[in-house]
Amino acid sequence: MANNDDKNPITPGEYKNITEKMYAQNLELARLYKQVDNLNKQRESLVYLVTHKVKGSFTHSKYIFAGILDGTFGAISPELQKMAEKGLESDNVGINTVDLVLNAANMQKGLIKYEMKRINFKDIILKTFSEKKIPAETKGLKIEKDIKEDDYYILGDSFWLNEAINNLIENSIKYTKEGKIAVGLEKKESKILLYVKDTGMGITEEDKKNLFTEGGRGKDSVKVNIDSTGYGLYSVKLIIEAHKGRVWAESEGVGKGSAFFVELPLAQ
Amino acid sequence: METAILKIPIRIIHEQELVIGPLAWDEARKVSGLNIDQSHDSVSFGGDAKDIINRLVAQYERIFGKASHAVCHDAVKDLIAEMSPEEIPSSLK
Repeated sequence: MANNDDKNPITPGEYKNITEKMYAQNLELARLYKQVDNLNKQRESLVYLVTHKVKGSFTHSKYIFAGILDGTFGAISPELQKMAEKGLESDNVGINTVDLVLNAANMQKGLIKYEMKRINFKDIILKTFSEKKIPAETKGLKIEKDIKEDDYYILGDSFWLNEAINNLIENSIKYTKEGKIAVGLEKKESKILLYVKDTGMGITEEDKKNLFTEGGRGKDSVKVNIDSTGYGLYSVKLIIEAHKGRVWAESEGVGKGSAFFVELPLAQ
Repeated sequence: METAILKIPIRIIHEQELVIGPLAWDEARKVSGLNIDQSHDSVSFGGDAKDIINRLVAQYERIFGKASHAVCHDAVKDLIAEMSPEEIPSSLK
């Protein structure tokens, strides 16, 4: 093999061969990069087009249903009221789903501007916990919290952290048929650790690999949650990572429940 | 067509940069008569534009081989499509 020491110098011909081979390899990489870049751009524009169109349609019909319910179109029968309420609820689910996908796309592109302020993370947990208590209990689930007495000041954007925590607890409610959900918060050295544990369907080893990826859904998740988009946990990951934290999931397997953990650095 | 011929070296350098990185600029600077203003992404010619472009293409080909010539050609396909045959540097025909 040619090398460039005194005993075995590279000839100009060998040098040219090496540079030409390297160029050919780089060229192949550059072509692949261009293809991936083009596909990403096409995918992004498709996501924006579809989501905006779909959201527009949902919003339009939402206001029609709202108009029916608030009497804009006159008195309605109880049957029609029931149908309009269902329609309104369905549109809200649709709008939330579209927002989830759009937000994830914006986060991915770095278009979300986080307003980092010194905030007590405990306030976000308490607020989200109280909002989710009724839906959980309506489903027959026990929901409890264990927040160690302390201050949990971090640098963060309340709005987006609220979205992330809301998503984690909501997920546990959706994927737990019976049993309980436990939300806990504690300090660990210079970090805070949040957990959301449930007695739900659990996560297989295979599903764990895709859990926090874009569009990554559990193999059987749609059987339990027909509205599963695969963007919820991906958004959580993007939000937590934007706060210099990390999120992960643990589960002993199918039917053995899941535990989601969020670790965030404490404010200096 | 003055503008099109001025765009050719920049297009070529950028395309080469995708493959070989900043080396693309270093090699282009070695071409006599090609004055490069990298901060403004522009060039000017100190001599016959077609000759200088031919020398730029040859500069890359001398080191990186025929594949680099094809890259130069692909980079300016749309520009030379708008030029008359006598305006096109022979290396890009």
